[in-house]
Amino acid sequence: MDYIQGIAVLIGINLIAVLGLSILTGFTGLFSFGHGGFMAIGAYVSAVVSSRLNLPYPIAFPMAILAGAAAAGIISVFIGKLTLNLKGDYFCIATMGFGEAVRVVLNNITYVGGARGWANLPQFTTWWVVLVLDVVCVVVAWNLINSRHGRNMVAVREEELAAQMAGVNVFRSKMIALIVSAVLAGIAGALMANYIQFIRPTMFNMAKSTDLTIMVIFGGLGSISGTIAGTILLVSLPEVFRNFAQWRLVIYGLAVIVIMVGRPQGLMGGVELTPSGIRKLLAARRAKAKLEAELKAAEQGDAA
Amino acid sequence: MDQFLQQLVNGLSIGSIYALMAVGYSLVYSIMNFSNFAHGSVIMLGAYFGFYALTALGVPFSVAFFIAACGTAAVAVILERLAYKPLRDRRAPFLYFIITAMGASIFIDNSVIATIGPTPKTFPSELLPSFLQGMPLEWGALNVGRIDIAIFVVAAICLGLLMLFIDLTKLGKAIQATAYNMKASALMGINPNFVIILVFAIGGGLAGVAGVLYGMKYQVFPQMSSITLKSFIAAVFGGLGSLPGALLGSVLLALIETFVSGYLSTQYRDLFAFIILITMLVVRPSGIMGRDAEDKA
Amino acid sequence: MNEILPLLELKELTKRFGGLAAVNNVSFKVQEGSISGLIGPNGAGKTTIFNLITGVYRVTDGQILFQGKPIHNQEPFKIASGGVTRTFQNIRLFKNLSVFDNVYTACHLSANYGLFASVLRLPRFRREETILRDKARSLLTIMGLEDRQDIAANNLPYGLQRRLEITRALALDPKLLLLDEPAAGMNPDETEQLMRLIGEVRKMFSISVLVIEHHMDLIMGICDHIHVLNFGCTLADGSAEEVANDPKVVEAYLGAEEEKQC
Repeated sequence: MDYIQGIAVLIGINLIAVLGLSILTGFTGLFSFGHGGFMAIGAYVSAVVSSRLNLPYPIAFPMAILAGAAAAGIISVFIGKLTLNLKGDYFCIATMGFGEAVRVVLNNITYVGGARGWANLPQFTTWWVVLVLDVVCVVVAWNLINSRHGRNMVAVREEELAAQMAGVNVFRSKMIALIVSAVLAGIAGALMANYIQFIRPTMFNMAKSTDLTIMVIFGGLGSISGTIAGTILLVSLPEVFRNFAQWRLVIYGLAVIVIMVGRPQGLMGGVELTPSGIRKLLAARRAKAKLEAELKAAEQGDAA
Repeated sequence: MDQFLQQLVNGLSIGSIYALMAVGYSLVYSIMNFSNFAHGSVIMLGAYFGFYALTALGVPFSVAFFIAACGTAAVAVILERLAYKPLRDRRAPFLYFIITAMGASIFIDNSVIATIGPTPKTFPSELLPSFLQGMPLEWGALNVGRIDIAIFVVAAICLGLLMLFIDLTKLGKAIQATAYNMKASALMGINPNFVIILVFAIGGGLAGVAGVLYGMKYQVFPQMSSITLKSFIAAVFGGLGSLPGALLGSVLLALIETFVSGYLSTQYRDLFAFIILITMLVVRPSGIMGRDAEDKA
Repeated sequence: MNEILPLLELKELTKRFGGLAAVNNVSFKVQEGSISGLIGPNGAGKTTIFNLITGVYRVTDGQILFQGKPIHNQEPFKIASGGVTRTFQNIRLFKNLSVFDNVYTACHLSANYGLFASVLRLPRFRREETILRDKARSLLTIMGLEDRQDIAANNLPYGLQRRLEITRALALDPKLLLLDEPAAGMNPDETEQLMRLIGEVRKMFSISVLVIEHHMDLIMGICDHIHVLNFGCTLADGSAEEVANDPKVVEAYLGAEEEKQC
C-alpha cells in the first residue's frame, strides 16, 4: 500500500510540472529544454525556506512552496522578456542554456550543498497535500485554457501571424504561458524536495526536462485530460517494467518520433475526456460526414 | 604573456572542435531553417564509431576517421529521411520538428547507454599514430599537446575543403542557391531533396569528425551529446545560418571560455557561455555576421 | 478645401529590401464606406503594402495614416485591434480548430475580463463569455456558416475557408477590411457569390474594404476606386472606368488579361 502511495505521490508531483509544460508546449506551441531549471529553483528556494529559516512548523511548508514558486516565476519573466520576441529556435536554445546555467550555478553554491546535494530536508509533502494541490492546479489550468487567454494561446500555436492579425498580443500570451509553466514547475520542485528529502543539481538536468515533455507528448498536445493520462502512464510504467529500465528511454525516444510522424495528437488526440469534449468531437465528426455527403451529392448532381 | 599564449592555444584547440560542430549545424540550418537538436547525438555516435573502428576493427587511424565520418553522415541522412522528411511533407509546424529531434536524440543516446554502457572509454594511445603519442611539443614556454595540433589541423583541413566545395563547385553553388531561396532554386532545376540529403550528409560527416576529435582529446561517453549546446551557442554568436559566422563564433566562444577558465575559475566556464548567449540574443540576435530577416505574410 | 478625412492614407510609402524597392513612393487614399481595389501584376508590391499597413513589415520611408493618425511601424496586434484587419493570400486559418472556435477566438477583444477572473471563474467571466459566444454565433449565421460550425477548419471546402477567414476578420469589428486575393482559385460562380458577399458585408457592418485581386470582373464589378501598381510604383489611380480606359494600364496589365481571355 505504501509502495502504491509512493507512486501516487510521484505521479501527483510530476503532474503539476507536466500541466505547466502542457500549457506552454501543448497549448501555446513553445518548446522548452530547460524546465528542469525552474523545478530546481523551486526545489532549492523552498529547501532554504523550509530548513534554514527556522520558521514555525505550520507556516514553514506553505511559505516554502510559495517562495519556490515565486522565485521560478520571477526568473521566468526575465527569460521571457529576453527571448520570447525572437524566433522559435532561439527560445529553445535559450531554455537549453538556462537549464544548464541553473545546474552550474547550483553546483557551485556550497550553502545549498553544491554538486554533492543537500540531504535531510524535512518531510512535509504528504499524499493529501499533493492531492489537494493537484486538484487546484488542474482546475487552474483548465480554467485558464478555457478562457479567452487560453484560446489566444492556442491561436498562437496554430498560426502566430494570423493570431496577431486577429488582435492577439502574441508576446503577452507567450509570457503568460511561460510564467504559469515556470510557477507550476517551481511548485513541483518544492514538493519534490520535501518528499524525497534530498536534492542535487543533476536531478534537474535536461533529462528531467525532456522526461516532462515526453509526458505531455504521450498524452497529446492540447488536451488536459491527455496530460493527466500521459503522466499517470509514464510515471507508473517504469515501476512496472523495472527489469527493462535501461530500455525505457530508448523506447520512449522511438515512441516520440513515431507519435510525431504518425499521430501527433497523442493519446487523447487534442480531445478532452469530458462530456463537453466528447460532444464536441462527435459533433465535428457528424458535421464532417454531413459535408462530405453533400459534396458528393453535388458532384453526382453535376454529373447527371 | 606566456599564460595568455598558452590559453590561446588551448582555446584554439577546443574552438576547432566547436567549429566543426557549429558549421555542420549552421549548414543544415541555412537550408532547412530548422535547428537539428539531435546534432549532439550524431557527434557522440561519431566518437563511438571512431573508437570501435580503431579498437575493434583495428583499422589504421585515418581510416577510422573516415569510417566515423561516413557513419555519422549516414545516420544524419537516415534521421532526415525517416523523421524529418515526413514532417516536412505534411508541412508540420516547427514545434513537431523539435519534438522529433528530441525524441531521436533520446533514442540514440539511450540506445548507446543500454547496449554499450555508460562508462566512458578512452582512445588507447598505442593505437594512435606515432606522431600523436609522446610528450607535448615545447615552443619556448608554450606546451602544445600533440592531439591539440592534430585537432587544429584536421579541423582546418575539413573546413577549408568545405569552403572550397561550397564556393567553387557546382554542387556547392546549388547549396548556396537553395539556402537563399529553396523554391526559386527548385524552379531553376536544382532538386531540393538532393540538396537536403547532401547537406545533412556533410553536417553529419563534420559532426563525426568533431566527435572523434573530442573523444581523442577527452573521452568517449554517451552524455557527450550535451556538447551540442555549445555548438548552438557558437552558431548563434556568429550568426545562425552563416558558415563563416559559425566558425568565428566557435573560435570566439572557445577563447572566452578558456580565458574565463584560466583566469577566473573552471566552474564558471559554462555559465559564461550562457551569458554570451543571452547577451547576443538581447543585443544582436542575428549574431555577429548574421543578416536580419523579416517574416513574410 | 473641405476634403473629407480619408479612412486610410498612404503617403509616399516606400519599402526597400536590401537594394530592391518593393514599394516605391506609393500614395493613395481609401475613403470611408468605399470598396477600393489594389491591382497589378504579380510581384507589383500589393501584398507588401498590406504587410506594411498591418505592421508585419517596417516602413522604409513614408507614412500610413488611419483615421488621420499614423499607424505605420506599430505592433500588428495593436493595428488590428485599432480597426484594420485582413485575410491572407494563402489562407491562414486556425486549421485544427473548428469553424466556431476560429471565430470565437477572434472575438476576444469584445470581452473585458482578466486572468484573475478566468482562473477563479468570477461572474464577470461567465457574463462576458456568453457575450462572446453569442457574438460568434451571430457572425457565423450572418455569413452563412452556422451549420458548418463544428467542422475543423481544414476540412472545409476552399470557398468556405475563404468565407471563414473573412468572418474571422470581421470578429474584431474592424473599420477597414483588407482582403488579399479573396477570389483566388474560384470559378466564375463562386467569384460572383464572393462579390455579392463583399457588397453585403460592407452594408451590414458599415465598413470599408480594400481588395487585392487579379480577377478583373470582381474588381470592376465592385470597386468604387482602383489603384494600379507595377514594379512597386503607382501606375494609375481612379474610378473603375478611368482605370479601364487608361492606356498605360491597358498596355501593362489589362491588355495581357484580354489576350488571355481570347
